[in-house]
Amino acid sequence: MTRVLESRAGRLVALVAYKAYADLKAEAARTHVGVAWWFLEPLMSMAVYFAVFSIGLRNAPENYVSFLLVGLVAWRWLQTAVVHGSATISSSSNLIQQVKFPAILLPLASFLFNTFKFSIVFATLLIYLAWTEAPMGQHWLALPAVFAVQGFGVCGLALLAAGLTPFLPDLRLVIQNLLRLAFFLSGVFYDVEAFPSEVRDYFRLNPMTVVIEAYREAILEARWPDWGHLALVAAAGAGGLVLGAWLLFRFDHVYPKLQN
Amino acid sequence: MSTPNCRIERPPEADPELLRKGRPSRVIELKGVGLRYQLRGKQSFWALRDLNLSIRRGETLGVIGRNGAGKTSLLRILAGILRPDEGVCINHGRQTTLLSLKAGFLQNLSGRQNATLNGMLLGMTWGQVRRALDGIVSFADLGEFVDQPIRTYSSGMLARLGFAVAVHADPDVLLIDETLGVGDLDFLRKSQSAMKEKIRSNKTVVLVSHQAKPIRQLCDRAVWIDQGKLRQEGLPEEILRAFAQSS
Repeated sequence: MTRVLESRAGRLVALVAYKAYADLKAEAARTHVGVAWWFLEPLMSMAVYFAVFSIGLRNAPENYVSFLLVGLVAWRWLQTAVVHGSATISSSSNLIQQVKFPAILLPLASFLFNTFKFSIVFATLLIYLAWTEAPMGQHWLALPAVFAVQGFGVCGLALLAAGLTPFLPDLRLVIQNLLRLAFFLSGVFYDVEAFPSEVRDYFRLNPMTVVIEAYREAILEARWPDWGHLALVAAAGAGGLVLGAWLLFRFDHVYPKLQN
Repeated sequence: MSTPNCRIERPPEADPELLRKGRPSRVIELKGVGLRYQLRGKQSFWALRDLNLSIRRGETLGVIGRNGAGKTSLLRILAGILRPDEGVCINHGRQTTLLSLKAGFLQNLSGRQNATLNGMLLGMTWGQVRRALDGIVSFADLGEFVDQPIRTYSSGMLARLGFAVAVHADPDVLLIDETLGVGDLDFLRKSQSAMKEKIRSNKTVVLVSHQAKPIRQLCDRAVWIDQGKLRQEGLPEEILRAFAQSS
């Protein structure tokens, strides 16, 4: 056990975990309401969409609020982790020029930080839904798998964004706009299933469409998700993860130089 | 990851052949090292060029030079943070740490939490940091402030905390960049005695400074870096005299 903990990988894992913990603690200590912000901030952003799309649309379908919330919460994980992750190396220039450590630490700790925040909001949403309109059933057993598939994809994208942004700082703007496009095409606001089949397949090229549909099927529709589509998303996510990690290790010693 | 221009060799303890011959006296060797920064467009700038230097085990080496002479780049190469664009840097399996006061500190965390994070960044395991924490706290002399957020600390307290962690991380080679002037007089005395302790325990220290005093008092050898090249090396007095005459 001690040997595992003292190995290079063991030290990196411990460091990622402690850095994420320290960042969470530092963030909670920054504001007066502390941890409550982790709930308030997503609640506020969801309230905006809720107001526009639920109250604004008079002919909103039944259960539209739950439908919207599931999509929005899942989307937020991707959005915050990728945007936050893309800036991790560029914004730590002082640190990486002074201390030798694997640069991958920064986006990994950021991913863990955002995943923790997502998890508590998602758990709160599940409790709310179980209590109101979507009683817990056997199909909820699919949730850990959907969560893992999304985690792979989010982590892969965050690593890629973190590894490439120091070389191309303008990439951050591109990433933000691509995410906005993917957001409107992901079916957060509408049911992709309602479209004609030839259009539907194009929407499902967006991995987030598949993930959001899977969450909704398991939670709201008491159905098993489409495992085939999820497996494809998981494979793409794993590919992104490997490519992102390779990029960060390959250019590990270049990042301190780029900051000058 | 080792590349041809940045080699990490096995420590002599792990190599019976080397042990039989006696431990090598050199801990890090730079051979024909050059470091180039890319400027805008296709222009580039050599911060170091054709630099040959050996760091010997147990010595305290002073590095002096003007602003922009390449001293900081040199330390970053020795620390393994940067890799040379030409030449080689051979590290004979030694843990090398660049003393970085406050690097990675989070303003809203306590001294204790920052010491843990900083110690782990410097290569200590969580368990090692936990065991060293009492020593770090007493060395840094933070008193009741230790559990306060570091945004309430004075710059002297931050410097003491950073130095305390670096000393307790116990690297084989400690690289210090003009930090001895940071902090109050008490701390200066304490850090100097900690450095002397390192020297006695056969640890290696590389000290970069603009000032003559710490180099004269602490170092047993000095090098003068000028425009990215090694201008002269020798006894501290001799190098400081030559440097003073040139300016």
